[in-house]
Amino acid sequence: MEPFTPKTSISDAGRKVFHVRGLTKVYGMGQAEVHALAGVDLDLHAGELVVLLGPSGSGKTTLLNNLGGLDVPTAGELRYRDFDLTCANETDLTRYRRDSVGFIFQFYNLIPSLTARENVALITEVARDPMPPEDALNMVNLGARLDHFPAQLSGGEQQRVAIARAIAKRPEVLLCDEPTGALDVRTGIVVLEALERANRDLGTLTVVITHNAVMAEMADRVIHLSDGRVLSEHRNAKRAAPSTLNW
Amino acid sequence: MLPNLDRKLLRDLNRMKGQAVAVSLVMACGLAMLIMARSLIHSLESTRQEYYEAQRFAEAFAHLKRAPNSLAARVAEIPGVATAQAGVAVMVTLDLDGLDEPATGQVRSLPDFGQPELNRLFLRTGSWLSPGSRGEVLVSEAFAEANNLHPGDKLAMLLNGRRKEFRVTGIVLSPEIIFEARPGASLPDNRTYGTFWMPYKEIATAFDLYGAFNYLTLTLAPGAELRPVLAEVDRLLQPYGGRGAYGRADHPSHIRVSDEIRILQTLSIGFPAVFLSVAAFMVNAVLSRLLTLQREQIAILKAFGFTNRQIVFHYLKFAFVMVIGGAVVGAVGGVALGNKLVVMYHLFFRFPDLSFRLDRSALVMALAVGAGAAMVGVFSAVRRAAKLPPAEAMRPEPPANFRPALIERTGIGHLFSHSFRIAVRNLERRPAQALFTVAGLALATGILIIPNSFRDSVTELLGFQWDVVQRQDMNLGLVEPASIQVRDLLRQLPGVIAAEPFRGAAARIRFGHRSRQIGIIGTPADTQHSRVIDGKYREIVLPPEGLVVSTKLAEVLDVKVGDELTVEFLEGRRALRTVPLVGVCEDLTGIAAHMDLRALNRLLGEGDVINGASFTLDMAHRAEFLHALKKIPRVSWVGIKESLRENFRQTTAASINLIQSIYLVFAIVVAFGVVYNNARISLAERSRELATLRVIGFSEREVGAVLITELTILALIALPIGLLLGTGFAKGIVSAVNTETVRLPVIFTLHNYAFATMVVTVASAISALVVLRRLKELNLVSALKAPE
Repeated sequence: MEPFTPKTSISDAGRKVFHVRGLTKVYGMGQAEVHALAGVDLDLHAGELVVLLGPSGSGKTTLLNNLGGLDVPTAGELRYRDFDLTCANETDLTRYRRDSVGFIFQFYNLIPSLTARENVALITEVARDPMPPEDALNMVNLGARLDHFPAQLSGGEQQRVAIARAIAKRPEVLLCDEPTGALDVRTGIVVLEALERANRDLGTLTVVITHNAVMAEMADRVIHLSDGRVLSEHRNAKRAAPSTLNW
Repeated sequence: MLPNLDRKLLRDLNRMKGQAVAVSLVMACGLAMLIMARSLIHSLESTRQEYYEAQRFAEAFAHLKRAPNSLAARVAEIPGVATAQAGVAVMVTLDLDGLDEPATGQVRSLPDFGQPELNRLFLRTGSWLSPGSRGEVLVSEAFAEANNLHPGDKLAMLLNGRRKEFRVTGIVLSPEIIFEARPGASLPDNRTYGTFWMPYKEIATAFDLYGAFNYLTLTLAPGAELRPVLAEVDRLLQPYGGRGAYGRADHPSHIRVSDEIRILQTLSIGFPAVFLSVAAFMVNAVLSRLLTLQREQIAILKAFGFTNRQIVFHYLKFAFVMVIGGAVVGAVGGVALGNKLVVMYHLFFRFPDLSFRLDRSALVMALAVGAGAAMVGVFSAVRRAAKLPPAEAMRPEPPANFRPALIERTGIGHLFSHSFRIAVRNLERRPAQALFTVAGLALATGILIIPNSFRDSVTELLGFQWDVVQRQDMNLGLVEPASIQVRDLLRQLPGVIAAEPFRGAAARIRFGHRSRQIGIIGTPADTQHSRVIDGKYREIVLPPEGLVVSTKLAEVLDVKVGDELTVEFLEGRRALRTVPLVGVCEDLTGIAAHMDLRALNRLLGEGDVINGASFTLDMAHRAEFLHALKKIPRVSWVGIKESLRENFRQTTAASINLIQSIYLVFAIVVAFGVVYNNARISLAERSRELATLRVIGFSEREVGAVLITELTILALIALPIGLLLGTGFAKGIVSAVNTETVRLPVIFTLHNYAFATMVVTVASAISALVVLRRLKELNLVSALKAPE
C-alpha cells in the first residue's frame, strides 16, 4: 500500500495537489439535514499559501477536515494527487495524515507531558523523511526553549511548537485552523511569520482558515466561502509580509 | 416528580455506568465476604447453641477405667455440679460387608429406658431402640451415610472379642460428635469409624462393666466455675483410673467448630478491609473525574443559588448509588457463597439442621462500612468542588504541569520511547491514582496465591506425615496391652514384609505450671515405621532413656532439651515419674511425645508389653491380610494409610476447590474493575491529547499503545508486590489456622505464582482491550475545537 506520490520539492511549485469538484457534505438526516458543503469546486497547487475566509457556518472547517482526511465527503470528487480521498479507508487516511499533512489547530493541541523537542520528535520518529526536531524548532525561533513543557510556554510559543511539529516531517500540505485565533496581535504576527517562512522555505501548500480578513493580504490566493459554496476567489499580486499586517 | 437535580444524577450515572458498575462490583466482593463470614459465624454459633441447649450437651467430660455406679452420685454432689451422667463408652471393631478393611467405632450406652439426661440424641430416620431391647443399635449419621446404612440393615461388631450381629433401628446425631473423627485423628474418616448407641445393659454386660461406668459427663450449676469442679472430679476418679476431666474448650468436636468460627472471624475483617479500600479509591477517582468535567456545571448551579450543602449532597448521591449497588450485589453474593459453604460444612459438621442464617446486622454493617469507605473516597473531591468560587469554576482548569519523570532524571532518559515518556510522566503526575491501581492489581494477585498455597501446604503435610514420618502401610491397635510375643504372631499374617510393635500410654506431661494430656508412643529405637524426624528431615534415633517431644509440645510446655519433665501415667499403675527431655522432633499434626519402647515399659513397670503394631505390606496380598485381621478378636482398630490419605485428599480438595473458585472470581472482578476504571479515566481525561495524536497521523494501535504502556508499567509494579502480598496473606492465614491439632507448613511454588500472574495479566489485558475499543469512537474533529 503506497497511495502517495513522492515528497514535494520547490521545483514542483504550481503542480496541482488537490482536485475538488462538487464537494458536498451533509450532516444529519431528513428535517435536521445540514448542508455544510454544498458543491465546492477548487484546485489547490503546490507551494501556494491560500487563505479561506468566511463567516461562522460557511463550511471552512468542514472543507479543511475533508482536505485533511479527518472526515469523508457525502458526494463529489476529492483527490490528493492520485489518491482518492472519498473512498479511502481508515488505515489509508491515517497513513495520508501521517505522511502528507501537517495540522495546526487554534488551541495548539500539544501533548502536555512532552517537552517542545519531544512533541516534535514524536512525529519525526514516524515520518518518512523528517528534519531534525531542533531544526524545525529553530525555524520557528524556539531553539532556546527545546526542553520546556507546554505548561512552561506562552500561547504564542506553544503555537510555534505546533508549527514546528507540523513542518518537521516536511509535509506537502499544511492545514491551519484559526492559528492565531487564541493569540494577541503581536504574538499572532510572530506565528504567522513562522507559517509564512515554512511555506516559502519548504514549498508547502499552506491552507489557512480564519475569519480575520486582514490575514488575506499575506496569501497568494484568497477564497471566500459562504453557505457551503465558494463565493469568490482572488489572487494577490504581491504577498504582504506578516509583520506589515495589523488588526 | 423527580427533582431535576436527581434527573441529572440519573443521566450522568447512565453515562458512566461502566465505571459505576466496576466500583460496585469491587465493593460487592468485600461486602459479600463480610456478609458471608458474619452470617456463617452467626449460623454456626446460633445453630450450635440451640443444638447444645435442645440436646442438653454436657459441660465437662471424663474418661476412666471403671468405677461403680455409686460413685456417680458422689460426683453429682460436688458443689457446682448440676447433673452428672455416668455411662459406658468402649471401642469396638466392626465387620462390614463390602468393606475389606476393618472398621472401628465407639459404642456408648443409653439408659435401658427413656432418653438420657445429658447429650441427648437427635433421631434423623428410623426409630429409637425399643425399651429393654437386645440386638438393636443406633448409628451416627456420618457413618451411616458413608456406608449406606439404613434402618433395618444388619451390622456386625466384635464386642470384647465376641462377634455379634445388630439391627440398625435408627440413624441419629449427637451434640458430642458434631465433628466426628477417631480420637486423635485430625480429619474424619467416616467410612471406617463411627459412633453407636445401645442399651446400657447390653454393652456393659459385654464388656464386664455391668454396675459400673467408664465415661462421665456433667453440667454445671448456673454461675459455677469449671476449674474447681474438674479438679474435684479428677480427685474422685483418680483411684478408678480417671484420665483427666476436661471442659467443652478441650472437647474435640467443640474445638473444631470453634476453630472454624475463629477462621471466619479473621476472614470477616481482613478481606473486606482491603477490598473496600480499593473500592473507596475507585469512587474517589471516578468522582474526581466527574467533578473536573462538571466544573462549569457546578459554577452555574452556584451562580443560580444552590447551596454548597446541596451540591455536596448531589455528588455524594453518586457514591451512595454505587454503595447501594455494591451492597445489593454483595448481599446476594454473600448469601449465595454462604449457602455453598454451608453445604461444604456438611462434610465436616453434623447438625440436625445447619442452614444458612443471614446475619442481618452484617447487612447493616456492610451498608455502613461501604458508605463509610465511599465517603472517605469522595470527601476531598467533593469538598474541593464546593469550595470553588463560581467565577473561577467557570474557567477551564489550567493546563497540567509536567516534568521529566524520576526515572528519566537518573540520566538514562534518552533510552526511552515517547510513549514510555508520556506514560511515566502521567503516572508520576497522578501518584495516588497509580498507587491504587497498583494496590488493586496487587490485591487481585495476592488473593490468588492463598488457595494454591493452601493446597500445596496440605500436599506437603501429607507427604511429610505419610511418606517421611509414617512409612508403614498400616497400623493396628489391640484391645488390651499384650506381651511383645504377639509381634511374632502378627508377623506371620499373609503379606507382611515387616512388622514393628509399639506401645501407646496415656499420660499427663507437666513442666512448671504447664501440662498437656497426651499418648506417649514407645517404639523400637531404630524404628523404620513411625519415624522420629527433626526439623531438617533427618531421622532421630531414640536414646535409651528420656523423652523426645514435638516442637509444638515443647513450645506449649515451654521446655528445652535437658529439662526434667514430670510424667503422670493415666493408666496401669498410674506411675508418676521424672523424665529428662532428650530431643525435639518435627510433627505437623497434633502434639507428640516419643520414647524408646523398652524405656517406656520400664517407666510403666508392666514388663515387655505392646498395644499395637505397624506393618509394611506386600500389596498383592493386601486383601488376604485384611481378611485375616478381621478374624483376630484382640484387634481394636486399624488405620490404612492409603485410604486415610485418599479420604483426606478428597475432603480437602473439595473445600479448597470451592475457596479457590471464590477467590478466582474475586481476583478477576478486582483486576478487571481496577484496570477498566483506570483506562476509562485516562481515556476520558486525555481524549483531546489522544485525538490529536490520531489527527497528526498516529494509528489507533499506536495511540492505544500509549495507554497500554501505562497499564503495563502499573502491572509490572503490581505483580511482584501482589506475589509478596499473597505470600504474606497465606503465611498469616496459615499461622492463624495453625493449632495444636494441625500445623500447615508454608509452601509456595513457582506454579502458584505463575498461575496468579497469568490470571491477573489476562483479566487486565481483556479489560484494557474492552476500553481501548472506545478509541474508535474518539471524535477527531473535536480535537480541533476549543478545549472542553
